Amino acid sequence: MQPTLSVQNLSIEYQARRGRVQAIRNVSFEVHRGEALALIGESGSGKTTLGLGIVQLLPSTAKITQGKALYRRDTLTLDALTLQGKALREFRWKECAMVFQSALNALNPVLRIADQFGDTAKAHGYLQGRALQERAEQLLRMVRLDPERVWKSFPHELSGGMRQRVLIALGLLLEPQLLILDEPTTALDILTQRNIMDVLKELRAKLDFALIFISHDLSLAAELADRVATVYAGKIVEIADVATTFQDPHHPYTIGLINAVPTLRGAKEDLTSIPGSPPDLIELPPGCKFHPRCPLADYRCREQEPELEPIKPGHAVACWQWRSARAAMEKFRS
Amino acid sequence: MAVTATVSTTTPRSFIWLEKIANNFLLRRLVKAFFTIWIVTTLTFFIVRAMPGNAVDILIQDLTAAGMSADDARNQAASLLSINLNQPAHEQYLEYLANMVRGDFGKSYKSRGLKVADMIAAVLPWTLFSVGLSLLITFLLGVGLGALMAYKRDTWIDHLLSNLAATLDAVSPYLIGLLAILTLSVTWKIVPIQETRGALSPGIQPEFSLEFFADVFMHVKMLLLVYVLSSVGSWMLRMKSNTVSVLGEDYVTVAKARGLPDTRILTAYVGRNATLPLFTLLAISIGYVVGGSILLERLFTYRGVGFLLGDAIASRDYPVMQGVFLIMTVAVVFANLLADYLYGWLDPRIRISGGGQ
Repeated sequence: MQPTLSVQNLSIEYQARRGRVQAIRNVSFEVHRGEALALIGESGSGKTTLGLGIVQLLPSTAKITQGKALYRRDTLTLDALTLQGKALREFRWKECAMVFQSALNALNPVLRIADQFGDTAKAHGYLQGRALQERAEQLLRMVRLDPERVWKSFPHELSGGMRQRVLIALGLLLEPQLLILDEPTTALDILTQRNIMDVLKELRAKLDFALIFISHDLSLAAELADRVATVYAGKIVEIADVATTFQDPHHPYTIGLINAVPTLRGAKEDLTSIPGSPPDLIELPPGCKFHPRCPLADYRCREQEPELEPIKPGHAVACWQWRSARAAMEKFRS
Repeated sequence: MAVTATVSTTTPRSFIWLEKIANNFLLRRLVKAFFTIWIVTTLTFFIVRAMPGNAVDILIQDLTAAGMSADDARNQAASLLSINLNQPAHEQYLEYLANMVRGDFGKSYKSRGLKVADMIAAVLPWTLFSVGLSLLITFLLGVGLGALMAYKRDTWIDHLLSNLAATLDAVSPYLIGLLAILTLSVTWKIVPIQETRGALSPGIQPEFSLEFFADVFMHVKMLLLVYVLSSVGSWMLRMKSNTVSVLGEDYVTVAKARGLPDTRILTAYVGRNATLPLFTLLAISIGYVVGGSILLERLFTYRGVGFLLGDAIASRDYPVMQGVFLIMTVAVVFANLLADYLYGWLDPRIRISGGGQ
């Protein structure tokens, strides 16, 4: 089966006063229908830039320097990065909906929820009036909201979690084939976060879209995703299915991330953080971008950047030391 | 207001309706408004009397300057102005308040026998018209250009308009007026300044005809131009900064991601949210519509409220000054009240509810 979205060799740069910020460097991945891909990484690793790039909502200082994002539906194939005007407007939300991390402010404060649905439907020539309301009420119920309460409300009359769920319902209105969720639970408290995650899992079971889930939270990714891509300094350093990522990671960075997550039963001493901080994206270190923080780095890592290479079907790692990484990292922990 | 709620449970039944009246939002605002008006009226009453000289002194000065002997001038002035300035101030004040409550603003000192209310009524329409129209033009122009500057920010058009707006905002209206006369009337001779004096040409009657409106426009155009030029800058800059901040809001990005047409985003998402705060300012500005500018109306010899006030101050015509200040106060106070209601109505986040919720 053809993937819904295949991103090929995508690079995105920002023009800053100090120089060019290489936010995304030569990234390729695929998402299939009914599949959820999680992009995980620290803040500033370029995850959000990637999402914004696909729907062409990057700020004007950003530039896509190379690459394609091929989107496929039925027999239609188009490159999302070259769309313009009407075609771009139609691609957004109808084919690819993006739910942003700042749910609190994502809805126009002076329009009722009903009007926000109406606007979206009208812009894409979708249902109107009574039929639209019925469809919207169905979606609102799906995200566990009471349509009676929500439909005529203004955004400020709803809580943060409710607003986020309204936005998710709004995202599903036009039945997009691709849904990008950018840190959908970040600004919310832990109970609301749980609620949203349950909603998302339910939706995944019921509907059949391709999902890109951007998060820095490994546990959320583990819960929702089928495959996990670890992003470091604008590059995917490891990609594998969710079980492999958590049970058999091979990149020292992925291993480090997993070791930094507290578990319910594990001892406090088992937690280790990754030393140092993410590199400056303007002046990237030579060789592997993770080498200054990597306990396994040798001369080769400092000079030559490893490319993502498949080590097993469906598992690719960008590390010179991947064969010995797991065992070596275990040693370093003790 | 939890406090009110607990009080009402202990209040005897018969007083509940009294409490309801006391908690009524509009009523409370009205009482406050009238209180403000009374304070300003009182201050005005005493401040105009604290100005150096009085109506009689000024008239004597004028008469002697015209060549009359000091004694003749004094007699003439006394007979012209049959007013008793020796009456104690507090008696005058109480009399003034009593008359005002009955709707009587008194009679002018200088234009003997003329009622202040009539004098104001005669000039008020011209000021309402000129300032009102210029406010409308200024608002629309300011909002339009401000939004344009924000959309085109950091291009030459933004730099040009921003600098122009800042300059216009900084230069005094009177100076702009003088410059307008100097350039348009004196140097380039586009506008014959002699003909535009006054609010209407002699012989033209107020009626619903093209001739009348053309004449009205002919007389008001210079004043209108200067009003617009001198106030459009601040509207432009405000609208620009509002629009720039709204453009950075997440809901605008999300609206784009939702594939909404640009026109819809410009009007309902950016435009509406950026102009919201301006409506309060607009409503407050409406309060100043009854005032007019003393300096500009004199400069263009446009007989409006400002012109009348300027005359009254020059001749220490207390009743006229008090009358003009009073209507200005009333207008500003009620415009503020309107602004509060308007904002609550336009912005769902600040809906005002009756009672003390």
